[in-house]
This record gives sequence, C-alpha cells and structure tokens, in this order.
Amino acid sequence: MNFVWSWPVIAFYIIALLTLCCGVIMLSVRKVIYMALTIGGVFIGASALYFLLGADFVGVAQILIYAGAITILIMFAIMLTNHEATEPGFKWSPKNIAAAIGSVLLAVVLLLAIRSTAWPTATTSQTALDGGNSNPMAIGLVMFKGYAIPFELVSILLIVALVGAVILAKERKEDE
Amino acid sequence: MGAAPFPVPTGSLLALGALLFCIGLFGALTKRNLIIVLVSIELMLNAANINLVTFSRLGVAPSLSGQVFSLFTMTVAAAEIAVGLALLLALFRLRKTSEVKDLNIHKW
Amino acid sequence: MVQYAWLVPFLPLVAYVFLLVLGRKAAEGLVAGVSVILTAVSFVLSLFIFQAVGNNPHGNNTYVFHWLTVGNRVFDVGFQVTHLNALMLVVVTLVSTLVFLFSKGYMHKDDRFPVFYQYLNLFVFSMLALVISLNLLQLYIFWEMVGLCSYLLVGFWYFKPEAALAAKKSFIVTRIGDTGMFAGIVLLFLATGSFDYSTIFSAVAHGTLHIGWLSNNGVITLTALLIFAGAVGKSAQFPLHVWLPDAMEGPTPVSALIHAATMVAAGVYLVARTFPLFQASTGATTTVAWIGAITALMASLIALTQRDIKRVIAYSTMSQLGYMMMALGVGAYAYGIFHLMTHAFFKALLFLAAGSVIHAVDTQDLFEMGGLRKKMPVTTYTFLAGALALAGIVPFAGFWSKDDILSATLQSGHPVLYWFGLIAAFCTAFYIFRVFFLTFTGKPRVEEKYEHAHEGSWVMKLPLVVLAVFATIAGFFNSPVNHYGLERYLFADFASGTAGVVVKENVGLMAFSVAVGLLGILLAALMYWRPAFGGEKLSKALSIPYIISFRKFFFDEIYTFVIVGGGKVIAAIVDFVDRYIIDGIVSLLSWIGSVFGTMLKYTQDGQVQTYSAIAAFGVLIFIAIAVFTVGGVL
Repeated sequence: MNFVWSWPVIAFYIIALLTLCCGVIMLSVRKVIYMALTIGGVFIGASALYFLLGADFVGVAQILIYAGAITILIMFAIMLTNHEATEPGFKWSPKNIAAAIGSVLLAVVLLLAIRSTAWPTATTSQTALDGGNSNPMAIGLVMFKGYAIPFELVSILLIVALVGAVILAKERKEDE
Repeated sequence: MGAAPFPVPTGSLLALGALLFCIGLFGALTKRNLIIVLVSIELMLNAANINLVTFSRLGVAPSLSGQVFSLFTMTVAAAEIAVGLALLLALFRLRKTSEVKDLNIHKW
Repeated sequence: MVQYAWLVPFLPLVAYVFLLVLGRKAAEGLVAGVSVILTAVSFVLSLFIFQAVGNNPHGNNTYVFHWLTVGNRVFDVGFQVTHLNALMLVVVTLVSTLVFLFSKGYMHKDDRFPVFYQYLNLFVFSMLALVISLNLLQLYIFWEMVGLCSYLLVGFWYFKPEAALAAKKSFIVTRIGDTGMFAGIVLLFLATGSFDYSTIFSAVAHGTLHIGWLSNNGVITLTALLIFAGAVGKSAQFPLHVWLPDAMEGPTPVSALIHAATMVAAGVYLVARTFPLFQASTGATTTVAWIGAITALMASLIALTQRDIKRVIAYSTMSQLGYMMMALGVGAYAYGIFHLMTHAFFKALLFLAAGSVIHAVDTQDLFEMGGLRKKMPVTTYTFLAGALALAGIVPFAGFWSKDDILSATLQSGHPVLYWFGLIAAFCTAFYIFRVFFLTFTGKPRVEEKYEHAHEGSWVMKLPLVVLAVFATIAGFFNSPVNHYGLERYLFADFASGTAGVVVKENVGLMAFSVAVGLLGILLAALMYWRPAFGGEKLSKALSIPYIISFRKFFFDEIYTFVIVGGGKVIAAIVDFVDRYIIDGIVSLLSWIGSVFGTMLKYTQDGQVQTYSAIAAFGVLIFIAIAVFTVGGVL
C-alpha cells in the first residue's frame, strides 16, 4: 500500500483519532452527563468523516439527527431521571471480563479480516457519483426514484414510534 | 475535492468503524445506566453507518445507495431512541431506577 | 323348510326383546307364557327342519349373506343346517321349553322373575345361533354370548357372595379356554384366509395349511389343540373343570339348562363340528380322548362323597361330558353326539328333579333329606328313571349311548381308556343311587323340613314326566331296533366314509357294563338303603381316599397355590422390576434433566446484558469461523 501524504489523509487521521478518543472517554468517565457529551463528540466526528468522503447530505443529516436531536433527547432523559447518577468504576466481575474479552476478540478478528483483504482503491470521483448534480439533489433523485416504498415505510415507522413514545412516556392519570 | 480518486485507504476507514463498533459493544455489555446502554447501541449503529458511506464511495461498485441506506439507518435509530427513552421514562416512574441490573423480573 | 332355520333362534330373541320391553314389573304368567310358547314353536320348527334335513341329506342347507369386506378378505354371516346342527336344534329347544315351564314354578315369587326369563331367552337365542353358525367367527361371537348369559345366570342371586364369586370364577376359567380357542381360530384364518368350516376342512383335506415355519401337520395339531382348549373350558373338562361345581350357585333350572344340557355340551359340539380338523391329527385326537377319560374318572370319583345334591349331579355332568370327549377322541363321532343327546335329557331331568326336591325341603344337603318318596312320588319316580339312565341300565337311554362309547373305545384299540370308562361307570351308578337312596328312601333326617315338603304344581311335574319319558326311550333312537338311525343320520354329514368308528354288536360287552352298573347300585343300596354296613364306617376306614375325593382332589387348593400364588410371585417380581429398575431408569433420566436444568437456571439471571454478552459471543464465533475458513487472514 503506497502511502500518500495529502490533506485528506491528514484530516482523516485527525478526525479518526478525535472520534476514537471521544469513544474511549465515554467508556471511562463516571458521570452520566459527561458520557452524553462525549457521545456527541463521536457523532460530530462521524459527520466530519462523511463530509470528507463527499457525502454532504448524510453529513448534514448526521449533525441534525444525531448530534442535534438524539444527543439533546438523551440529555433530557438524563435530566428527567436520576441526573446525579454516576457509573461505578470498572469492576473485574466475570461478566465484565467476558464482555471485555469478547469485544477485544471481535475487534481483533475484524481488524485481521480487514487487513488481509485487498480493498479496491477509489476509481470514481464524487462528482461522477452524483451524476453532475449537487449531492443532496442526487440523493433526492435516487431516493424518490429507486427507494420510494422503503421511504414511505420508514415514514410510517417514524409515526408509529412517535405515537408509541408519547403514549409510553405519558403520565397515566388512572394509575393507582 | 472529489475530482481525484479518494486518497484515504479503505481499510483505515473500515478499521475506524470496527473499533467504534467494539467500543459500543463493550459499553452496551458493561454500563449500568440504561441511558448509556442505549447510547452505546447508537454508537454501534454509527459504526455501521460509517461502513455504509465508505462503501458507497470506495466499494467495488460505487453508488449512492450506501448513502441512502445510512439515511434510513439514521431514521430507524431515531425511532429506536425515541421509543427506548420513552420506555426508560415509564420504567423510571414505575420503579424509580434507571439501572439495567434492576430489570430482572424474568429471573429464574 | 330349512330356509326358515333362522326362525329357530329368532323366536327366543323376539321373546327376549318383548320381555325387555315389558320391564321388571311384568306378570309372571305373561312372562313365562310368552317364553314357553315361542320356544315351543321353535321346537316344532326344529322338528320339521330335522326331518327335512334327513329327507334331503345332500340338499343345499347353507345360507350366506355378505357382511363386510376388509381388504381382499370377504366376511360372511349366515346359517348352515347340517345333520348335527339339526339334532342340536331339537335337543336345545326341547330342553329349553321344558325348563322354561319348570321355572314358572321354581322361580315363583322371585323379585326378578322377568329378568330371569330375559336372561334365559337370551341364552337360548345365543345357543341356537351358535349351533347354526356358518363360520367360526360367528360361532365365537355366540360362544362368548352364551358365556355371558351363563355368567349372568350363575350370578342371578348376586346378593349371595358365593353366587357372585361363582359367577366370576366360571367366567374367568372359561375365558382361559376361550383365549386359546380364539388364537386357534385366528391361526386357521391366517392359514386359510377364511373362517368358513368348508374352506378350512377342504384345506385340511388337501393339506395346504401353512403359517410361516409351521408345517401343515403342525398347524393342524396346534389349531386343533387350541380349539380344544375352548371346548375344555366350556365343557368343564380337566384341568379347567373347577368352575362347574361352583356354578351350581345359580338357580336350579339354570343348572339344568345351561350347565347340564346345552352350554356345557357346546364344547362337545365344537369338537364335533370341527371334527375333520381333529381327525387329521393323531396327537389332537389322543389328547381329546385322554382328557375326556381322565375327566370322566376323576369327576365320578369326586362325586362319590359330595354332600350337596346339586354338586353330585354337577360332577356327574363333568364325568358324562368326559365320556363324550373320549368318544370323539377315539373317533366314535356319532356315539359322542348320541350320548350328548341322551345326556341332555336325563341330566336335565335329574337337575329338575333335584330342583323339585330343593324347592320342597329348602336345603341342598343330602344328609338333611330322606324319605321323600311318600311326599313326592312323581319326583321320585322320574328321578329314578334319570338315575337308571345315568347308571346305564338297560333299556334306559344312557345304556345305549354309554355302552356304545365303551364298546367303541375298546374296539378302536384303547383298552386303558375302556377301563377308565368302566370304573367311572361303576362310580356313576354308585353315586347317583347314593343320592337317590339318601333323598327318597329311609327315614327323614330333619323332621321339620320333611313336614312341609310337597310336590310342585303341574308346571313342575309336567317337564319331569316328559323328560322321564325321553330318558327312558331316547336310547332306542340309535339302537338295533331302529337300525342305528342316528348314526345313519349323522354320517350323512360326511361325503366320504371317514366318519369314524362304528361299533360291532357285542352282547358280552353290553352285559358286562350293565353288570358293572348293577354292582354299583347294589353297593349303594347296601350302604344307604338297607344299611348292611354303614357308610360312616367305610368312610372312616378309607379316610384318606375319602378326604381326597371329598375335597375334590384338592384342585381348588392347588390352583389357588400354583396359579394365584404363582401370579402373586410373578406380580411381585414385575412390581420390583417396574418400581426399582424401570422406574429407576426413568427417575435417573429425570434427575439428570433436573441437574442440568438447575445448572442452566443460573444463567437465567434476568440481566439483559448477560444474555446479550452470550449472544455477542455467539456472533463472534460465527464471524471467526466465517473469517478464518476463507483463509489467508492470519
């Protein structure tokens, strides 16, 4: 693999490093509210990666949905429940050891598989991929031409989730 | 950018996704707070999204389908976190706890 | 005429249904009247059929109706009137009619009078249907039905514990033989594909019976012996004879009809009906002859000492049935049937006369009777006729048939069996006249019983008189006077000349057996009529043989010990095996399951993260397998 130092490459490694750092910090901090903040960092890192890859629309959606909506929702949930909660330190309980071993082994297996595969190098530019249009326009065209029915189904799912969440979270007056 | 072939190696992007996935898995299996478990699951979904977008650009047959799929995944993730948090609130109201280990009514 | 033979069993069935509809409150006169009249019509019909079959010996007398088809097997029902069947119809209907009449007096004022007649009618129907059955399957069905009726009637006074026990015993003991018979029928069906007599007999004649590794002769002997097992059970032959004396707990008319004249003769009838099968196997005929001879001798020895009047006659029945079996066994087919016929008359007579006595003095113990001749002359002289017939004194019916059997046994080359029969004949004469002298002569032993003794009404006397007439003259039916009419009649059933032994006249043998009978009577007279030497002394002097005889050769005790005790031992072994070995294996399996279950229980800790950890490991293993089997990863 001939390694070419160019700006995108440098940017990728900085982004990747920051994202992974945020993930590790999330695992290690004690206060729940900090965990929610660090996960926001991971989401923004992923969004930056999408921009870097030329998927502008997905990057924007990532910021809007994850970094914006979901992180804020989690904050609300934490505030509504036990916002003083702290995680206890990592204990070497059998369950935790098993989880650690499992995760590390999975990472090792996946990395080994990735390393040993001959990945194709990029042959197409993003412009060619977008067919000369802007990226959001191209996405829109693909979605409504090729994925109209999944799109509608997903919208139904969202409505069901919305209604379900409201009903679940609503305080029931008739509760004894 | 964009006119030239993408310079970052595919394997590095996939490795980032794999590592994020494993961090998420570890968090989901060990964290005690239910909210953090949900967050860890979101992290795993994000890792999968990174893979989807990577393959959309750098795969054997590049196309926009990968990006569209990641959008669907985000939607489903949003729905999931909404319902999950609603369940969490209902549970907290009922049992005054948000810890995973207290959800053991199906114990032997 | 023959085509109306189905009416003969049908009329008693009509009577049965009619009585069933009338219910238990019906008037005695109506109940008895309907039964007697319908059975009498059956009897008249039987007479016509008997004559019609005789006039046209080779005419069509088989009537077949298709019943059902299973696979490629066709099952038929229908009726067949052979000469043997026609004779049986006459005998059964005649005795039934007379017993029905007698029961009117005997069962008078019984609470369940109509029920008694219902059972009797059902029995007569079953017995007649059995007789004219077309095939073995049909015969087996009615065979079990007469067994059922016997059970119901023996246990008619079910409130007496002995009657209930006796009913159960008779049912179970005969069932042992029936099981063998059923197996025999099934084997015959497997070998020939048919239940029909004619098919089976032609297969026997052509020697084409094969089942698996069993050869033709093996199948014939095996099936003949199995069918004979059924006959042994039904006809109370050794070793399944123990039920018959106990069956005397039933009402006396039942004893007369079922346990003397008809049902117990069904065993003899069965052997006679399947006679070609038996003839084809020397082993089977020898077994039949020896079983018959042993039963004849043993039962007559037991009868010497019994105190119960009905039990003496019951053992006498067994003994006489033994004679019939012996006759069939030595091939003297016609004489066995002849004796069956005469025996039906004089034994029914003896039972009915005994019933008359029991009705009068209200006891069955011989030593509580005595001197009844003056009070009951009709009963006395009819009983005497029956006793002379049983003892084989010329010219009474029993003489002709019994003498024929004994002569046939000797002339067919079975001297040992002949002596068995002769000793039994001596004992027979002794015990029946012991009963006669104890009951009717001498001084009354229990005064108050003697005081209110009286003769029954005409319904009880008429059957006695009619039967006494038959017991006296029926023998001439097959005597030189009649040129052996019965033999000629019966042998028409056989196309070829294989009908068995024919007796040559031998006045010496006749005189000898009559002398033996007279000797027995003389001895009984000396002991019980004009006591030259007391029976008491003799029984003391011969105490060991006396006790053996009195306790019926200890058969009940032996059976209790061997079969019931053995059954208990086997049951205990099976119980042990079941409880500790089979149950143990099952318990072990459940214990293993329980242990593993308990172990697995602890993985179900209700923690979702534990479950997902396990699931993650599973996924990890799958991914690892997928990745590493592709190769080139490491």
